[in-house]
Amino acid sequence: MWKDYSKSYIKNNRASSVSVMAAALVATMFLSLLCSIAYNFWAYEIEKIVLEEGDWQGRIVGGVDENDLSIIQNFANIEKAVVNKELSEKEDTVIDIYFQNTRTIFRDLPLISAQLGLEDDSIQYHSLLLSRYFIHDPQDAEPPMLLALYLGILVIVAVSLILIIRNSFELSMNARIHQFGIFSSIGATPKQIRICLLQEALVLSAVPILLGSLLGIAISYGLIKVVNIFAGSVAGRHEAAFSYHPLLFAVTIFSSVLTVLFSAWIPARKLSRMTPLESIRNMDGLQLKKRKHSRILFMLFGMKGELAGNALKAQKKSLRISTISLLLSFLGFSIMLCFTTLSGISTRYTYFERYQDAWDVMITVKDTGMVDFGLTQELQNVSGVEAVTVYQKAEAMELLPEDWQSDELTTLGGLNTVAGKVNENGRFQVEVPIIVLDDTSFLEYCYRIGITPSLDGTVVLNQIWDSVNSNFRYKEYIPFVKEDREKATLYNISMDNQNIEIPILSYTQTAPILREEYKKYALVHFIPLTMWKKISEAIGGLESDSYIRIFSSGDATLDDLNGLEKEIEQLLDQEYKIESENRVQEKLSNDSMMQGMVMILGAFCVLLAIIGIANVFSNTLGFLRQRKREFAQYMSIGLTSQEMWQMFCIEAFVIAGKPLLFTLPLTILFVQFAVTASYLEPMVFWAEAPTLPILAFAVAIVFFVALAYYIGGKRLLQCNLNETLRNDALV
Amino acid sequence: MEILKCNGVEKVFGKGDSKVAALNGIDLSVEKGEFVAIVGASGSGKSTLLHILGSVDKPTKGTVMIDGVNIGGLNATDAAIFRRRKVGLIYQFYNLIPTLTVEKNIRMPMLLDKRKPDKEYFEKIIGTLGIENKMQSLPSQLSGGQQQRVAIARSLIYRPAILLADEPTGNLDQKNSKEIIDLLKLSNRNLKQTILLITHDERIALEADHIVTIEDGKIISDQKRR
Repeated sequence: MWKDYSKSYIKNNRASSVSVMAAALVATMFLSLLCSIAYNFWAYEIEKIVLEEGDWQGRIVGGVDENDLSIIQNFANIEKAVVNKELSEKEDTVIDIYFQNTRTIFRDLPLISAQLGLEDDSIQYHSLLLSRYFIHDPQDAEPPMLLALYLGILVIVAVSLILIIRNSFELSMNARIHQFGIFSSIGATPKQIRICLLQEALVLSAVPILLGSLLGIAISYGLIKVVNIFAGSVAGRHEAAFSYHPLLFAVTIFSSVLTVLFSAWIPARKLSRMTPLESIRNMDGLQLKKRKHSRILFMLFGMKGELAGNALKAQKKSLRISTISLLLSFLGFSIMLCFTTLSGISTRYTYFERYQDAWDVMITVKDTGMVDFGLTQELQNVSGVEAVTVYQKAEAMELLPEDWQSDELTTLGGLNTVAGKVNENGRFQVEVPIIVLDDTSFLEYCYRIGITPSLDGTVVLNQIWDSVNSNFRYKEYIPFVKEDREKATLYNISMDNQNIEIPILSYTQTAPILREEYKKYALVHFIPLTMWKKISEAIGGLESDSYIRIFSSGDATLDDLNGLEKEIEQLLDQEYKIESENRVQEKLSNDSMMQGMVMILGAFCVLLAIIGIANVFSNTLGFLRQRKREFAQYMSIGLTSQEMWQMFCIEAFVIAGKPLLFTLPLTILFVQFAVTASYLEPMVFWAEAPTLPILAFAVAIVFFVALAYYIGGKRLLQCNLNETLRNDALV
Repeated sequence: MEILKCNGVEKVFGKGDSKVAALNGIDLSVEKGEFVAIVGASGSGKSTLLHILGSVDKPTKGTVMIDGVNIGGLNATDAAIFRRRKVGLIYQFYNLIPTLTVEKNIRMPMLLDKRKPDKEYFEKIIGTLGIENKMQSLPSQLSGGQQQRVAIARSLIYRPAILLADEPTGNLDQKNSKEIIDLLKLSNRNLKQTILLITHDERIALEADHIVTIEDGKIISDQKRR
């Protein structure tokens, strides 16, 4: 019987069925997309960790011999144990250990170590990798919960998807309260009504669930491809490969079916609990619980505005998802575009334009000190190279007496305000970043700042940012120290009192042309390699990598720099492990990344808007039953078709207008705040403001909402409303 | 044999100041095979009484026994099953399922029990009601009078203990009204069907053999004519 009833209902009420099917399709697609993306993100994270740090789970480091290794291998729960030859040294052998059941690693590894007679500090856990499998040290009171956070977000999104389907089911079921009242009056039990509705929901959703799941997988596959294209040129990034697990498909389908059942169960339960009398008396028209008066709409459009306003208030619950989705999508889209525009302007000002003439190609020579680098001259001879600077960074300390601070600094509060620690002699401990330059570059630098070129001392960058009288965007500088001392005493960074005196060749306000951002409130020293060799033993603190700045010409094209980069790589690759980047490519990569981010975030905003618009469609397609009586009544009191159309226009205008109306002031406030916080000139932003895409998004929202109302209104007004007034047995 | 017995039935709607007593101590007894008409002005409580008798509503106080069952004590499921098997309900506005054919509408109470009606009985009913050639039509394809005949057929399909009709002719013209009342009388005589008819039309009430008059929720007259 129910099969017959549901079949004939679905056949005769296609619009309602289509809206339920569309809701199930969209929601499942989202769920599948999210699950697939989350899974791929997780898989990518693991892949990255394994590539960078290896796939070992636990390690034992110590004096382990062959016999010990076999003891480890024979331990229950051990999958394999291998000697890590790369990390093993003469005295200490490093054993990488893999477990069958990784969850017990924090219990098993100490037992193994104890059996080998080793101390607890001989154990190492691959905490990062383990945390990706939700395995945390039970002793750790605050384990990393990033993954749990992602899962939490996933659950919240899934719940919001339930709401979409639920709304659609509710609309479809509410339209049939009268019919179920009839069933109930002739003896259908509440259980029979519930089962009928649930069966119907499952039948309607079966194909959309399957299609939605596949569509979600396909979109996530496409998204990963897009991300790879946009982020392809990012240095050091490994390409993401799409992966999918059959279990994920099962979970998606299972959650979707559960979501559908749950969504249908809520209104079904409500419906089955109504008494037959309540159901039969339900005439489906929009009802207001309290007296309402739509003042603004009445003022703007007169009585039609009042009627439309009341109808919207009566539909408030069913339109809630549309309102929230459209508002969030438009707000998100506008703010995201404004943010990326601002961020683009900022990056351009602080990075690309600032270093435009500082570099063309940058090479990082991994694990090689300048002392061991011997190809500076060869680099200089590469065609197209105008200048080469090889440098290495180090860290030291200096103890400044208060009387050394500059007068300008004294006026602004003195060393007290900018330097941290004070030692027992009342001297201020100040960080000294050291840039060791190759001798040729150092001599050229001396020449540039107008001092007698010499390799026997240091040049001190004597400036700090005056943050009181200027902002970070337009910085003004003051001297850090008085320029009256001829020698500086540099201390080892570990402050073990090892120090050395070094002659100061000059104080300067001009740094060498390098792509470097120096620490705030520090006394930067530029030292030639020859000098560094003399003091390095006492100072130490040298970073392991060296850098090579290559300048070609300010107007080099991408092809020029790609060619140059390739040639340099060929030259250096044989002897050194290097990473290289070029300025134009980096700019393009940055632009691509920004575009990719805009595309992904924009796609989410569009998807949110689709949810909202789908909801408006499902609402207007449900008009026929719900609002037939209401409009028949309007007609009976003399409202013309044209006036009824005006009512629809007002409703569509309010639904689409609300998100726009809320978003515009919020976006302007955000821009105002962001522009002020980033010390940009407002006109700089407004000249590049993303007005056109925001306007296009707004027009699209208005168009689709209007279309939904046009279709719903047309269907409604095509019905014979006279018949509706005469006959209560509505179809 | 007594098929229906009401004892001190009261029904109060609302709470506090807005409390309205729709029924106020109804005592009623109906014998098996009787044709009872309940008459009263609009708002007198006659429809409320019918809803309680049909177990679609519950009395605030008092007992209602139909065919030996106290229907006030039934839960929602048992009340639905009782309605299905023991009560036939006919409304002024037919209340047919618009998406089902006439045949399925009529068979529905039995289909809910996964049962098939006796073929001979089914044909007898639709023959008597004159709707045998409308079985594959949808309710919307029928006239008001035809729809009401379908509703009567549906209410009779389970051979209920009592048939309750709430203004069944209220939406019909004079000719169709007469035909419907004749059909109800026919089923009362031929099938020994107990019928309780609610009407505000005194001419229709005079067709019954037991007339009960209600005013302000109380029975002011209970007259057996035959």
